[in-house]
Amino acid sequence: MTTAQETKTVFAAEHDVPIPYMQRTRDYYQALGFNPYRWAHFVDAPFTPLRTPLARTRVALITTAAPFQPELGDQGPGAPYNAAAKFYKVYSLPSESVPDLRISHVGYDRVHTTAADFNTYLPLARLKEAVAAGRIGSLGPRLFGTPTNRSQRVTIEADNPELLRRCREDGVDAAVLVPS
Amino acid sequence: MSLAARHLEANGISTVIMGCAKDIVEHCGVPRFLFSDFPLGNSAGRPFDAASQAQTLELALELLERAPAARTTMQSPLRWSLDAAWKLDYLDMTKLTPDKLAERRKEFDVVKAVAKTKREAS
Repeated sequence: MTTAQETKTVFAAEHDVPIPYMQRTRDYYQALGFNPYRWAHFVDAPFTPLRTPLARTRVALITTAAPFQPELGDQGPGAPYNAAAKFYKVYSLPSESVPDLRISHVGYDRVHTTAADFNTYLPLARLKEAVAAGRIGSLGPRLFGTPTNRSQRVTIEADNPELLRRCREDGVDAAVLVPS
Repeated sequence: MSLAARHLEANGISTVIMGCAKDIVEHCGVPRFLFSDFPLGNSAGRPFDAASQAQTLELALELLERAPAARTTMQSPLRWSLDAAWKLDYLDMTKLTPDKLAERRKEFDVVKAVAKTKREAS
């Protein structure tokens, strides 16, 4: 009789945890002499179960990436933080298109990634494959971009109602949201 | 983005967030969250790796279908690299001398001014 090999328990490295972004950001801006940012916080969260099987559901893609505007400086792979490339209103683009969206306007990890492949922050091609495979019913006719840099008040009072209005116009039942 | 998900969800649209900043999204509280333990900027999978992107999306879709209640987080089993040393680098204060800090502060003031001008013009 053979004995099955036994799997040994091995602990992970102490630092191998999700990065504590709030703490690091607080420490960083405090060292720079700025007031600490207060992130949105709730105890509960709303919940709407999917009403139809996914294979019959119409899905919207929502991104924080920004449309490329050549006149606004470097927005290419590895570009330094580019505040000029920010946008301040919800936008829509046809889902059928292959839009040129960039993330030079946000604080992504510029040490360990370059944003050279837009599929890492915009899963539009993968979503289209999921539709073609019958996994998702359809994509909404438009994808939506939403600003990241407004005050929380503006996000809540202006941007979010606008996003909802457009999602309803497009008759979507579900949304995949991808912060960059 | 978390606030957007909450608003859509509260108004009858089922949502899932794909993201890399676990603490920030969970601090807000969202209906469904697929967490990838990757550097910020890779919420939808690894660069030039369609299979990893497809797997990441599939996990998000499964959450959309099967999460039993709000605040469900699933962590993708994908690893950025075998060595987790990259996690130490983000805003690493130990690498910032007082001179560097002053320089960063100046840069940040410039960025803020640019953003303010744009915001007010929009």
